[in-house]
Parts: sequence; C-alpha cells; structure tokens
Amino acid sequence: MFISVESLKKSYGTGEVETAVLKGIDLKLEKGEVGVILGPSGSGKSTLMNILGGIDRCDSGKITVDGTVITDLNDNQLTNYRRDQVGFIFQFYNLVPNLTAAENIEVVSNISRAPLDTDEVLKAVGLQDKKHRFPRELSGGEQQRVSIARAIVKNPKLLLCDEPTGALDFTTSREILKLLQQINKSYNTTILMITHNTAISAMADRVFRLRSGEIAGETVNEKTVSAERIEW
Amino acid sequence: MVINKKIKRTMLENKSQYLGSLALIIISCLLFTMMTQLADNMSSLTDAFEKDYVQDDATFATAGGLDNIPEMESRFGARIEEGASFDYEVSKDKTLRIFRQNTKVDLPAVIEGKNLSGGDILVDPSYARANGLKAGDELKVLDGSFKISGFMSLPNYIYILKNETDIINDPQTFGIAVIGKDDFDRFGKGYSFYSIKFDQSSDFDAPGNNSDAAGVNSPDINSANAANDNARIEARKVQFRDYLKAKGVIVTQWTDIGDNARVNYVKIKIQGISDVSRSMPVAILLLTCIMTGIVIWRMLQRESIIIGTLYAQGYRRKEIRRHYMMYPLTIAAAGGIIGTALGALTLGPMLTVMVSYFNIPVGSISFNAGYIAASLILPLFFLGVSGSFVLQKALRNTPVDLMKGMGEKNNVNFIERSLKLDRFKFATKFRIREQLRSLSRLAFLLIGVVMATMLLLLGFTAKSSMDNLMNFGFKDTYKFQHEYVFKALQGAQPPAGAERFSAASVNLKSNKDASFELVGIEPGAKYILLKDKSGTSLNPDQVIITRPLAEKLKAGPGDIIAVVGKTDSREYTVTIGSIAETFIGEFIFMPIEQLDKQMGLPAGSYMGLWSNTALDIPENQLFSARTVDDSVRDFSKSMEPIQAAVGIISFMSFIIGLIVIYVVTSLIIEENKGNISLMKVFGYRRKEVNSLILNSSSIMIVIGYIIGIPLVLTTMSMFFKSLTESVKLTLPVVISYPYIIIGFIVIWLTYEISKSLSKRKVNRISMAEALKAGTE
Repeated sequence: MFISVESLKKSYGTGEVETAVLKGIDLKLEKGEVGVILGPSGSGKSTLMNILGGIDRCDSGKITVDGTVITDLNDNQLTNYRRDQVGFIFQFYNLVPNLTAAENIEVVSNISRAPLDTDEVLKAVGLQDKKHRFPRELSGGEQQRVSIARAIVKNPKLLLCDEPTGALDFTTSREILKLLQQINKSYNTTILMITHNTAISAMADRVFRLRSGEIAGETVNEKTVSAERIEW
Repeated sequence: MVINKKIKRTMLENKSQYLGSLALIIISCLLFTMMTQLADNMSSLTDAFEKDYVQDDATFATAGGLDNIPEMESRFGARIEEGASFDYEVSKDKTLRIFRQNTKVDLPAVIEGKNLSGGDILVDPSYARANGLKAGDELKVLDGSFKISGFMSLPNYIYILKNETDIINDPQTFGIAVIGKDDFDRFGKGYSFYSIKFDQSSDFDAPGNNSDAAGVNSPDINSANAANDNARIEARKVQFRDYLKAKGVIVTQWTDIGDNARVNYVKIKIQGISDVSRSMPVAILLLTCIMTGIVIWRMLQRESIIIGTLYAQGYRRKEIRRHYMMYPLTIAAAGGIIGTALGALTLGPMLTVMVSYFNIPVGSISFNAGYIAASLILPLFFLGVSGSFVLQKALRNTPVDLMKGMGEKNNVNFIERSLKLDRFKFATKFRIREQLRSLSRLAFLLIGVVMATMLLLLGFTAKSSMDNLMNFGFKDTYKFQHEYVFKALQGAQPPAGAERFSAASVNLKSNKDASFELVGIEPGAKYILLKDKSGTSLNPDQVIITRPLAEKLKAGPGDIIAVVGKTDSREYTVTIGSIAETFIGEFIFMPIEQLDKQMGLPAGSYMGLWSNTALDIPENQLFSARTVDDSVRDFSKSMEPIQAAVGIISFMSFIIGLIVIYVVTSLIIEENKGNISLMKVFGYRRKEVNSLILNSSSIMIVIGYIIGIPLVLTTMSMFFKSLTESVKLTLPVVISYPYIIIGFIVIWLTYEISKSLSKRKVNRISMAEALKAGTE
C-alpha cells in the first residue's frame, strides 16, 4: 500500500473551545492510483491533505507513505519528505508573481535532488512558448498549468491537489484534469485530489467521501473514465 | 470614527515599520532642534560678547610707539588702546600668556568671580580647569604672586590658540590671563601692540581731515558710507594705515579681526553647525518620508479589500482619507514632539561643552520659537505630503478594483520585464527580482545605505584627509624643525644653519576679500621643498604659487597678479613662474631679495628664521616660535575630537543603517509572506528560505556603499572648500583603504544584525499562509 492512514485524529483548540476536525480517519491508496476526496466545506478535507503533505501534524493515528511513517518524522525529516516526495497543486495556484513561468518552476527544481528538465516539464504542460511570461500575463488555466509543472518537476511520488479546478471554467478545468491524468499515466505518480465537484470522481481509482471529519464512504472505481469525457 | 480604533492595533501589528519611522523622525527632530538652537545660541552669545566687550576691528604692531592716540581716535572715530602681553613659561611645555588689562577695546569678560583689583589675576577657565586652578588660589607669575580673582574671556581670544597658525588649542599647555595695568607695568616687559575699534556710527565723516593731514590720496569714505558697515570699516582701516604711513609709522604686523584665527574658528564652527543642522535632519526626514510612504502604501495594498468594502458600505472618500492620514500624522506628531523635546533637553549640555571649548561667557539659554515650531511642523508637513500622495494614488482606484486588491500586488515593473536572467542560477534570479520588485523600496534601501555610508565615512574621511595633509603636505614641504618669527624686522647675519624668510600679508587688488601671504625665501632654500606636478623639485629662485592659491585665483605660470599690501596699502605686481603641488596653504613663494625690494624693506632684512636646530633668540624679540613637532602635536591633538566625533557619527550611521535595513527587510518579509510559506511547503529549509529572502539585499548594500564613497568625498570637498576659504588651509579630501574596509565592515555588520533580527519573523511564518492564499 502506497498511502496508509490509520485512525487519524486532529482537533484545533483555541482556549477552552476545542473542535475535532478529523475523528479517526482510515484510508488507503495504491501506488500510481488517483484518489479523490469529496466533501463539503468544514468536513476536514484540507486538514487531511495538510497532514498527508507533511505541513501539519495529527494528534493521533498513523500515516505511512511509501513505507515511511510520516507521523513519526521530526520537523527536519518532514521538510525532506515534502522536498523529495510530495508535489502540491493549489486552488489559487500560489505562483510567485514576480517570477516568470520558468522561474516559478525553478523554485522547486532548485531544491530537488533529481529534478526533471524545466523545458521538458513546460512542454508537458503545453507552455513551452510562454516560459518567460509572468503569472499576471497568463490565463487562469495557464497559471494552473505552471503550478502543475512546478509540482511535477521534482518528479514526486505523491501529488496532492487542493481543488485544482476550483477557480477555473469548465473547459479549462477539463484540460487541467486531462493533464493530471496524463501525468499520472506518464510518471506513474500517485495523485490525491480534494474537490467539491463530484463529477471529477469519475476519473479516480478511489473516491473517499468525507463528512464532519469522518470517512462516510469509499468507492473503488473499476472503470475510470477519461477526463475528456467528464461533464458537469 | 470607529475604524480609528484600528490605528493603534495596526501599528502594533507592524511595530518594526512604524517604530522605524518614529525613530528616524525623533533622530531628525532631535538633531534639528539641538543644532539649530545651538548655532542660534552660540551666534547670539558670540555677537553679544563681541559687542559688549568691544571686540577690536584689527590689532597691529608698529616699529615705534604711537604718541598721538587721542587725536587719531577723534580723527578716525575709533577707540585705540595699547595692549601688552608676555609669555610666562609656567614650566617646560606650559605657557601662560599674561595680558595687561584693557579698558577701551578687547575688554576681559569676567565669567566667574570678581574683577581685578591690585594683586589679582583673571585666568581663562579652560586653562584653570585643565590645571586645577580655583578662584582664590595663588598664582605665581615670574617673581610676583597673584590671587585668582576669577575667570575671564577675551573677545579677541575666543578660541585660545597660542599661535595664529595653530589649529587646535590645548588648555593643558597654553592659557591666557589678565592682570591690572600697574601690576603688569611693574614687570617692565612685554610685547606691545594696539587694538583699534571703529565707531559703527554711519554718520562719522573724516575724509577731509585725513587727506589733508596725511597728504595721501585716501579712499572716499562718503562713498563707503553708502555700503554696509563692514565696507565702511574696511575703508576706514585703509585710511588709517595710510595715515600711519604718512606719519612715518612702520606697521610691522596687522591682523584684521576677519583674519584672526582665534575668532574665525568660532564663526566657522557656528556656520558648520548651522549648515549641518539644516542639511542632515532634512535628509533624514526625507528618508523617513520615503519609508513612511512605502509603509502606508503597503498597508493600503494590504487593506484594499477593507477600503473597497468601506466604500461599498457608504464611507466617503474624505472619511477614508482622514482615517489613513492619521497613520503618518500620528507618527510625525509623536516623533516631532519627542524629538523636539529631546533636542531641547540636550541643548543645555551641548552648549556648555561648546562654550567651554570656545571660551564664551554664557548668558541664559534662549529658544528660538521659529525653530521649535519648524521642528514640530516639518515632520507633519513632510509625512503629510508623502502620505497624502500615496493615498491619492490608492484612492483613485474604484471600489471594485480595491476589493480585488488594487491590481497592484502582482504588477511586474518594466525593469523586471526587460531583464534577461536565464543564464543565472535560480537563487540569483530570485534575489535580483526581489530587489527590483518595488522600486520605491529599492530607492529607500539605497538612499538609506548611502546616507549611513556617508555619515560613517564623514569622520573617517576627515581623519584620512588630515593624516594625508600631515604626511604628504606638511612634512613633504617643510623640511625645518624650528620656525622663529620676529616682532621687528631683522638685519643681522643669521646664525649658521638658519635660513631667512620674510612674509607679507596682501589682498588681491581686484578682490579685497581674497588675502594670502607672499613669502620670501632664500635662493638656495633647503627648508622649503616645492615640487611640480611631475614631482620634480622647483628651483626656489623663481615666483612659485601653491596649488590651492593658484586654483582660487585661477592663475598659472606667466600670469601677473596685482596685490595690495595689508600693512602699507601699496600696490604690487607678482609674475607667476611655477605652480607647486602642495596643500599647505595659500602662499606665493619668491626670492627673499625680490620681496624685500618690492616691499621697500632694507636689503638683507628678514622677518623670520628656519632652522633644524634650536636657536638661542631672546624671547622678547620673538612674535612666535614653533617647531614642526608642535604642528605634529597640534595635528595629533586635533585628531582627538575628530576621533570622538567619528565614534558618535559612526554610532548614528549604524542606527540609521540598522533602522533602514531592518524596515526594508521586514517589508520584504511582509510582502513575501506567501512565498516564504510556499517555500516551506515545498520543502525549503530555514537556511535556504533565509538565504533567498534575507540575503536578497546584499548586493544593494554593496552598491549603496560604493555609491556612498564618491558622494562623501564630493560633499567633504565642498565642505572643506567653504571652510578653507576662511582659514586658508586646504585639505585634499582622501579616504584611506583601511577606513573604506572598516566602514564596509560596520555597514555589513548593521546588515547582518538586521538580518538576524528578521530571521525570527521568517521562522514565524506558517505554512498555512500559502494554503490560505485566496488570490493568484
């Protein structure tokens, strides 16, 4: 099992009030699979993603990623984990505004042990001719492509996507999903995606429904559909 | 308005930025208040001293005495008094110059204690302090014993220099004292001279009398009456000298009050303080304006959504403007009040220090209300203007644009756009872009570093320049050990090993304010070594002009210079042979025989001797005696206050540099919150984040420092030029490499400290920032 989450709990407290966000999550994902976490706002999707990505810590439970128990890692080890194994894609792209497309990708390749070639990655996301453009000079879809290129340039084992199409129109969203599916196939990258959009679950190998900090259901798709065929 | 509640909260959230602005305004207002009031007080104290104690217009010595003083006084509308003094060697290297008490001109001002009665002596307070003398103590002078009745200042000895050519006073080794006329005359010794003070009354009219009596063609005083007081007095001086000449009186020495270094230095110092008091605080204020402008702009960007929302809720533009103007105005008002108060508090101690340094009787401290008001209003004005400029720009956006974040956040300026950085490593590219991202921030950082550099190097440059003058100007030119200047013209054969020289003070004929010295030297002079541009020694049997004077007069080889003798008012012409590359002062050297002949002095006569060994010359024949070691000691002494000043200025530049760099760094961190967080998410280590974000200003620190060096040299050159116009000392402005390195280390240290202070801020930024980012 590539990702294994067992009895994961997390609560946030401010003074006397403590809110349980994750109430014992169990989840598994195989290497090279695409997982989708569906759930309404406040269901704990982002918290789960953050803990999986090594940018937040749980209160209890165990997460294993590719044989590494990341819940046991200290801060430095978590940094190395993020640095070498995880790629992030954000809903609002989070590009550095005063760096060009190519330079935004270099933000990550700069610290990677064996990064892919920037031009190759740009070509893979279809932005080879826009490498010198600044984020402001790109459309939303193009910015998300840069964000994807930035995430895959380190050739991560795990790609975590937080509402990757949340800020895009239908056509552009479908293009992005196509790209992610292509990356999954080309690099055998495991992808875990958070979304509100139930239609996207059609392209996932596994779909986890999160409700109030608990897994309300898990579906295994025997026949995933191509992103091109997804409609909403 | 309720929203004004957030002013305090916002300021506390961004303490470093607002406290930085506040600190700069405080420094600026403190300096402005302290220095302008200091200059003002010193100026009024000096003016009152000069007026109340009848400072002379000139002092002079004659070959024989004047026997018709009352007649001359009424003829020239002047007060003339014969003064006398002798130098009493208290011990080896300690001299007390004893003056006979004057009653008409250059009166002693009793600062403490009581005036003279028989057997009393008044001593200058600096000497008394340095030598542990108190009022009531007995003081031995030659074979007499005097009781110190108190301490005094003389209006013609405000800065107590032993010789007029000295640069620095040393109360440990030299002081002045005044005793009563009877007591003085009992010693039966002393150098006699006259002090003259012309009546300021403009209705004085004596041209007819003078011309008739003296039989000389004197200047028309009536026409001079139309000019200002100074011109009128200058004209009367010329007339007076002509009169003396016509009467057959030989003036052996004449010193206008304007040429008296013991008075001049004070005026120069006051002028210097006055100049600095205007320029430096304003420069710091401008720096503060840029800084506050940037801080407010960032805040407006950060709060643009709130502003847009306020618009949407029905707030009027002027209400929003009023709220946001409160930020710069609060800082300006607080800084202005605190800085002005601190400046007023430090005025007293500063004035005491300056007055003790210059020996001026202290009255009460007065505050110039205009300067106090200016100190309070200037920051409000400057910051008000910069704040309203920024607000104007921000509020031009529509509420919709404002709610979208003003559309400015991600703008890429033209420089960033046009840069081709492909060949650089990522870290280099990132740092370059980071610096160029905000041109105003970049300008602020650069100006701040340049200013800190200039302040820091100001003291170093002064010290370097004086070291340089000492080593390469003075020692390279003057090859003698001892210099003796006689009170009267000498004709006897000089002792073996000694070299004769003569000197005459002259004014340029075309510009009476330009005065310099003609120095006659022996044809084979060994003790003066003058070199041309190529470093070749110039033959002393020609007329040689020093470089500073040549530049001042715009004269070169072959030019004829027309001059007027100060003591005889006669016109001479001098044809320049060569220019000497030396910075020792404004001189024209010529063969002594030529000078004597021109001045109508007996052949073979001379005014002074240079020698490598001490000569046995009776003290009463000497006007001054000094050694090169004296000059070296003077220079070394003069370095001491400079070193102290260097320390203070360095500390100030360190503080300003620290504030500027720290504020810029915190701005960079503030602007890069998202990026820093993102980098952490991507797995950047702390060291790597710090290196990318905090080190991005390194190149600007280096560039700022490099720009600062020529700027400080130019500024100092201009400052020295204006200074040397009055003291006739030319300082070639240089800075030695060790000081450049030390300066750089200090500036870099400032940078490192501000970086380490900022590291905590970087570390505090959580990864959640990146995840919360709601815009592109």
